[in-house]
Amino acid sequence: MEFKLEAHRIVSISLGKIYNSRVQRGGIKLHKNLLVSLVLRSARQVYLSDPCPGLYLAGPAGTPAPPPQQPGEPAAGPPAGWGEPPPPAARASWPETEPQPERSAVSEAPRVGDAVPAATVTGVGDVPQGGEADAAEAAWNRVDGPRQAAAGEAEDPAGGWGVFPLGSRAARRPCGCPLGGQDPPGTPAATPRAACCCAPRPAEDEPPAPPAVCPRKRGAAGVGGGPASCPAPGSTPLKKPRRNLEQPASGGEDDDAEEMETGNVANLISIFGSSFSGLLRKSPGGGREEEEGEESGPEAAEPGQICCDKPVLRDMNPWSTAIVAF
Amino acid sequence: MGLSAFSKYLPIQEGQPWEMKTPADIISTVEFNHTGELLATGDKGGRVVIFQREPESKNAPHSQGEYDVYSTFQSHEPEFDYLKSLEIEEKINKIKWLPQQNAAHSLLSTNDKTIKLWKITERDKRPEGYNLKDEEGKLKDLSTVTSLQVPVLKPMDLMVEVSPRRIFANGHTYHINSISVNSDCETYMSADDLRINLWHLAITDRSFNIVDIKPANMEDLTEVITASEFHPHHCNLFVYSSSKGSLRLCDMRAAALCDKHSKLFEEPEDPSNRSFFSEIISSVSDVKFSHSGRYMLTRDYLTVKVWDLNMEARPIETYQVHDYLRSKLCSLYENDCIFDKFECAWNGSDSVIMTGAYNNFFRMFDRNTKRDVTLEASRESSKPRAVLKPRRVCVGGKRRRDDISVDSLDFTKKILHTAWHPAENIIAIAATNNLYIFQDKVNSEMH
Repeated sequence: MEFKLEAHRIVSISLGKIYNSRVQRGGIKLHKNLLVSLVLRSARQVYLSDPCPGLYLAGPAGTPAPPPQQPGEPAAGPPAGWGEPPPPAARASWPETEPQPERSAVSEAPRVGDAVPAATVTGVGDVPQGGEADAAEAAWNRVDGPRQAAAGEAEDPAGGWGVFPLGSRAARRPCGCPLGGQDPPGTPAATPRAACCCAPRPAEDEPPAPPAVCPRKRGAAGVGGGPASCPAPGSTPLKKPRRNLEQPASGGEDDDAEEMETGNVANLISIFGSSFSGLLRKSPGGGREEEEGEESGPEAAEPGQICCDKPVLRDMNPWSTAIVAF
Repeated sequence: MGLSAFSKYLPIQEGQPWEMKTPADIISTVEFNHTGELLATGDKGGRVVIFQREPESKNAPHSQGEYDVYSTFQSHEPEFDYLKSLEIEEKINKIKWLPQQNAAHSLLSTNDKTIKLWKITERDKRPEGYNLKDEEGKLKDLSTVTSLQVPVLKPMDLMVEVSPRRIFANGHTYHINSISVNSDCETYMSADDLRINLWHLAITDRSFNIVDIKPANMEDLTEVITASEFHPHHCNLFVYSSSKGSLRLCDMRAAALCDKHSKLFEEPEDPSNRSFFSEIISSVSDVKFSHSGRYMLTRDYLTVKVWDLNMEARPIETYQVHDYLRSKLCSLYENDCIFDKFECAWNGSDSVIMTGAYNNFFRMFDRNTKRDVTLEASRESSKPRAVLKPRRVCVGGKRRRDDISVDSLDFTKKILHTAWHPAENIIAIAATNNLYIFQDKVNSEMH
């Protein structure tokens, strides 16, 4: 799970770099952007190839504040326009932006204004019990309304929300089903929307059974990439022998999660509040200690690599199942 | 022998370090000329500063010649490409000296797009006693001229004049990362991310493209050229490094377009070290032929490697510069430090190699004794006659008194550019906007 978080974080950081490179003096640096796109590709592969419920957390959480303007979708890889600098970044925009409206179809509840999600986000740990469903809906909807970003951005407590959406959106399909390896690795710039096996208006119809699938798929294992950059000996982005250790535990987690289900929407709120601030926390030491006690096991606990809170991981599963239920 | 000598480096003179006038003017390149008499630095503001070593003074035979500012000039200005709406930075990426062929010195300086040939001349005499002009140069009233005199050359204060003799423009679409003068002294090459061009020093309106790795479809781009250099003796050979960590040796006799390499030097990746950032840290940031021409030195993010031209499978030597950063790659990616391009340098006898690191540290590795040392370029360590003290970075475990812990390293203080005198144990270290010159105390003869 941490790999997914780490990968997610790296994806968003990478996208931020590509975005910022467009305004740098001297024009786009081809070398640096190429390297960033390679990292982005690896992280994305890791992120997508592990179809576990954590995936869903990233998705909707993605976005109170995508870079408000269109060019906020910098290409993940060298877009076609790289032939001559500057590349027209808007060209290779993440395809996910189009189907966003579809996602709104997924969530049935009436839209709530941004005010609510904003409050949700800023209220770290404060869980308004009333209107939770609405808040959750709103949070969910926020992914769909990328252009409403401005307000959200200002209130973003975790700072990194701004860049998250792209990464998360990139990682998700509208139906919410995991991409799991269907994504041809060689196409960093073009997330093949088309390759999604699910119909656009799906989610009720297909809980692409990730919760159920997940334990099994995890057993198959090793997918999903190693601790970002952690050279834990023997672990690589594509094979993680130690991951096997965590699978039974994770499976157990899933079971617990399904029990909690959508009833525990309060968790959703707290997830939004606390999780990403933890993800973006940079203190290596703190991150490491948090990891120690995780059910997910000791893996990849290199200083500086993993920075997420305990609550994140615990809450992730109920969130994902809730999403699925939506 | 080399290591014991350089463990006793000290600042060459008082008044160090030289600080660039504007704090924002970070030194971007450092290069000794072929005799070591001149040292050129380029900075981010497009300026070139040349230092000259004073001849050894008779009064103090034991003190070696010191370096003083010889000339300063503005080499490049910021430009704007209106067609592409691109600003072209004036930062000097590389300076290369031409071998001296007459009284004048010449050097090539380049920014991202344009290479310029500068001629540096001295004037220490001026003619006096013109018949038609007076001292200020105004025409004389002819009626006052009653006799003819022969103008004579009178000594004057030394004046160093710099003039641009050639401007090699519009040769590159991408950013130029290196230039290298050929041993034939007539041609030179310039490399950008995807192409390498061969120029004649006297011809500015055309160049020959000798390497082109641009794919037909830019989406298929997987690697770029990061550095290139001509062989020091064989004018037909050159090497270029890639972002994938490979080196390609090319022979210009083989074909007009050297896309096909003569030799490919590549080390298989260690799978146990695989991470998200493997590709970034394997990208070669600098490549340098040894003076002998037998070896090549490459620098990637964490190591320096020595390659034998006769062995393509792997380097013959690998030295860890700062392996303690391996577990911090994610943070270094975030703060962009992982993209820093460190250079590397040989000493004159190819027995010691040097490269920079963070916290104003630089490292030297003795190839013979396999010993290494970490030194720091800082004002505190730059008191004259104060020998540089070896530093140590501790990575947990036992910590000695003066050790620096990894977490307290200052990543904003990076030494990217270093240069070694071609004949003596004198080194030039660029630390952000400060230039340090250190000299071996024990003896400055090269061993």
